[in-house]
Parts: sequence; C-alpha cells; structure tokens
Amino acid sequence: MRLLAAELIEGREILPGQFLQTYDAPHLTSARAGQFVHVRTPDYTGLVLRRPFSLNTVDRASGTITIHFRVTGKGTEWLARSRAGERLEMLGPLGRPFEVDPRSQHLLLVAGGLGIAGVRLLVDEAIAAGRAVTLLFGAARAADVYPSALLPDEVEYVVATDDGSLGHHGPVTELVPDYEAWADQLFACGPFAMLRTLAHQAAGRDARLGVARLGRRRGGRTPAPGTARARRRAWLQVALEQHMGCAVGACLGCVVWGTAGPVRVCREGPVFAAGEIAWEPA
Amino acid sequence: MKTKRRVVTAVTRRRDYPGPRPRKSAIVGPPKTAPARRPAASAAGPGRDPIPAVDGVRAAAVDLSVDLAPGRPGTLVLRNPVLVASGTFGYGIEYGEVVDVEALGAICCKGTTLKPRAGNPPPRVTETPAGMLNSIGLQNPGVDGVVERYAPLWAGWQVPVIVNVAGESIEEYVAVVRRLDGVPGIAGIELNISCPNVGKGGIQFAVDPEGAGSVTAAVRRVTDLPLMVKLSPNVADVRVIARAIEEAGADAISAINTLSGIAIDRPNRRPFLGNVYGGLSGPAIKPVALRVVYEVAQAVRIPVVGIGGIASLEDALEFLYAGAAAVQVGTAIFADPTVPLRIIEGLRAFCAAAGVPAARELVGLALPGGRRRTPPSVQGVEYRP
Repeated sequence: MRLLAAELIEGREILPGQFLQTYDAPHLTSARAGQFVHVRTPDYTGLVLRRPFSLNTVDRASGTITIHFRVTGKGTEWLARSRAGERLEMLGPLGRPFEVDPRSQHLLLVAGGLGIAGVRLLVDEAIAAGRAVTLLFGAARAADVYPSALLPDEVEYVVATDDGSLGHHGPVTELVPDYEAWADQLFACGPFAMLRTLAHQAAGRDARLGVARLGRRRGGRTPAPGTARARRRAWLQVALEQHMGCAVGACLGCVVWGTAGPVRVCREGPVFAAGEIAWEPA
Repeated sequence: MKTKRRVVTAVTRRRDYPGPRPRKSAIVGPPKTAPARRPAASAAGPGRDPIPAVDGVRAAAVDLSVDLAPGRPGTLVLRNPVLVASGTFGYGIEYGEVVDVEALGAICCKGTTLKPRAGNPPPRVTETPAGMLNSIGLQNPGVDGVVERYAPLWAGWQVPVIVNVAGESIEEYVAVVRRLDGVPGIAGIELNISCPNVGKGGIQFAVDPEGAGSVTAAVRRVTDLPLMVKLSPNVADVRVIARAIEEAGADAISAINTLSGIAIDRPNRRPFLGNVYGGLSGPAIKPVALRVVYEVAQAVRIPVVGIGGIASLEDALEFLYAGAAAVQVGTAIFADPTVPLRIIEGLRAFCAAAGVPAARELVGLALPGGRRRTPPSVQGVEYRP
C-alpha cells in the first residue's frame, strides 16, 4: 500500500456514461486481480471522501494502469472531465485479490454491468497463465454491453441482456448452469442480487454434478475461513462493492455481514469466497 | 493502579527561545541566564496569518507540546497538539504503511465497549455536501479484545494512545475503564458519552448535566488515567454540561462528536443508511464545532480539544484561537491520511514565522479577554508511558 500521485495519460468514454482512463502509476502495477485503488478528488471539489476503483488492467512494461467507472455523482463526474496531465493521488493497491487454484484450467467469469471492472484484470492474468477463460457478461441493453474489442482474443465472451437486444434474453445468471460442469472455478463481480443468485446456484453444484468428496482433500485440513487458501479452494469467489471511508480498515464503514460476523470489504475483501458472506442477513 | 511520573529532563537552551517560564513546581532547568532576545518577527505579534517562511533553526525551536491533563502533571503531555479522532484511525496500525504514527500528538482509538459489538447494518457511510454521514454503531472487539490485541503494541510506541470508551450504562463505562486502568500502553481515556448511532450509545449522558456529571464522576473514582470527555453538539446549552463534567473531575473536554443526520436513497425512496440515522462530520460541521469550543473554553478551566472539520493548518489555527488547547483530525484523514502530519509541520513553521515560541500561546486568542486561557508551560516535561 502506497500513497502516490498518478498522472492521467488518456481517458475515453467507452460506453454511454462509462469511462476508461489510463494512468501512469508504476507503483500500482504490482497489483493483482480484485485489488483496488482509492482515488482522491481535489480539495476544491468539496468532496471529503476518496473514491475506490477496481484496477481494470495493469501494464507492467509501461507502468500504467486503467480504471473503468460510470458517472454516478460529483466525484466521478469530475473524474470524467479531467484532462490528460491531471495528477491524482492514489492509495493502493488495496484489498485482497482473487485466488486461482493452480490446478484450475477452466475459469468462468461472470460480470454484471460495471462489475466487468472487477474481473477484467483476472482475464489477463488467467490468459497469461495459459488458462481457458469464459466471460459471461450481463447488461440491461445492447448499448451497455462491454465492447469485445477491449478483451483479449482468447476469451470466450458470452452476453446476456435483460431486454434481449443482444445475446441471451434474461439475467446472466441463467447462463451459468451451461458452464457449471466445465468450469473449475467461478469468479464474479456485479450487483449484490446477482452475486447472491450465483451463491445459491453454487451451493447446489456438487449435488447436481455428482461431485463426491472422498477422503482427505489435497493439502490436508480445511483452510481457515478468510485466508487466501480458503478462497483458492472455493468454487465461487465474488468481488463486492461498498461505500467506503478510509479503505484501509480503520473506519469500519464498508462492512458487510459475513457468516462469521462483520467483515470489511476493504480489508478482508473485496474478494470473498461465496461461503464467507451472509447472503440473507437476518 | 499505575502511577505516572513527571520526568524532568534538562532543557537545552535554544538560541531564539527565552526558556521555560519559572514555575513553582519542580522544573529544574539550567541556571537562569539573561533571557534571550525574542525574535524580531514577534513584533508583528501572533494572530496574523503570514505565510510561514520556514526557517529551519527557528522552526525546530518551536515548542508544540501541550499538557492535556494539567491536574495530573506529566501524565498526558503531548509532543504536539494534533491528535487523530476516534473512529477515523482505527487502532493506529491500519494506516501504518503510509503515515508515521509516532509523529502524531496522540491517537484516539475506535470506541470501545465492554462486550464485542457487531455494529450497525450496512451501508454505513455516505458522502454529503462538504461532509459525510456514518453509522458504524460502535463495532469493536470489546475491551478485552482491545487490551489483548492492541495494548501490547501501543506500549512500545512513543505516541500516547487514548482509548475511546462507550457504554450503555454507568456500570458499563466503569467496568470498561476498570479493565483499562493500569494496562501498559494506554495513556488516557476519552469518554464517549455522545455516540449518536446506537440506541443507547451513551447519548443520554451527554444531553443533561446530571447524567454527564455522574458518569464522569463514576469513572473518575476508578482510575487515575487522564480522563477526557467528548461532548455532543446535539444539546441545548453545552456550557452547563461542560461545567458539570469539569466539576466531576475530568482532565479535559473534547468537542464535538458528530451531528445526527440522515441521507435518503432517492432511486429506492428510502433512507440510505442501514441504521437510518448517521453522524455528520467533515467541513460541514466546522462552524458548529468552533462555536462549541468557543463557548466551552470560556465555561471551564480544563483544556478543550477541538474536533470538527479540521482539514488544514488554517482550520487548526482557528480552533486554537477559539480556545482549543489541541485539535483532533477526523474525516480529513480519509481524503488524505497525511493531513495530521502536515498540520503539525505547518503549525511549527507558522509559529516560527510569527515569532511565537510555543504553540500554546496561540490558544484562546480569539476569546474575549484574549490570552486568558494560555495553559502553563510544560517545557522540559516529557511523556513517559
């Protein structure tokens, strides 16, 4: 975690109201998929909180990163208007990353809308490691669908839209059963309701597929919840979004309910094994 | 019960500083020589706001130290008057990688209760115009958790850690403070009688002078630790409550806690925060905080610690002028964790440029009667945990 300025190199509107910006930030290129940066808006904006963004892609060769965001308020509006050369203070990389089991060869990624920003870096990492990646993308309508030109060629990219204007007609979660048997692990980011549906689907997967767990699993004991090993063993990992204050674990503002008590999205997350989250809080 | 000693060290005579003021108590300095010439810049007098021209030697000679418990000499002498506010700095370790915590005046840790608390349902924070609302709901591991997990760490730090204590009843406050008393690493208590975010967060103690006085007195009876009480602005007359707290034996008063507010989630047509109500903090509440500090500083003789929207040297100076002996930085840390350190350096440079030998001489300049509240010198007294 470091606190340094990053210079905006270029920014463009890739979808209506959604921007992709490239920053010169060599200190952030060590980040892994799922981690995020906490970006400061300048003093004169009157905004008192930083804005957390997933690291969309990193390029170690050029020392640049990209962030992908939608304009939802004053902070993102200011960010969208900023020009090349603008220097922003970025705190990061923060949070815990997605953990891919070394034995997993087939990765299924599910993104709902802007949730693509949360799993985009995992696409690059998985392909660099020689894994097969299928990305299921859900959006409200065709106009909001993430452009396939921004994805590597090796990805199988499947789209679902709520109004049926492109690809599958219906929620993206309906596509998951088709890939359930193929995928070694599933990684998802998007609206909470979507993640909850995935978690319920994942819970019944072993029974549906007839997966039997015989004897002791490789690696011995069941790993302690919350650890990287526990996430690596999970079939479904989700990256959560939450309003944040400090993003380093001090303010307890971004807490969500976990099965073992409150968990901080900024510190214990943003990536959780599906089993660590209380999807139906009492 | 741990007793704390006033440690008297030799005062190094500095070129521009006339030396400690003679006191009746036993500060032993080097033999008194003719007072050194005051820097020429002092002719301009404090109180103006010139842009500090940093003079290395002079800046290093500025005395920023402040005693937050003058009634118990030497127990809570801070190296500088900038603290971090409870709830915004966790337990001092979270920002460790980007902030040098040892340079702070003191750390007020997250509100601590007798039993562990899970806190309020999410979402818990949201930004508002020039501020933010939070309703964390006193999530904390309980006093035993704090003592076991963090106190050993704090004991190795030079920076004093003040534990913020919350409770639902006088018995609970007393039980928590009893547990904290005498634990190495705990330099003081900040009594949070003003959390607006839990049904019984002690707010009932902050709104009437009898309640405030009785909880302060009850805690006072069980500890010798320096005791600071945090006021709520959500009351009719804060001066009456401040006086009751002073009479009950508090060593200092911090003001203010957050203001109660709500935010509405427009698309979903319901309150945004999981707890509906939240506490407003940030620059939006600065004028309210200044008013409370200004009033309380005139009502009591114990030091007042100003909190509320402090994000720069200018803000900190305003609080000092309004009568605060020290300030706590809170919400501003979220935007820039280095703010407290920059205020400390800025204050040093400001004093040097203004020819003020000690920051405490700035305290209360804006009060009627001017410098009436200048606290006694603590030159030569060092904090020893």
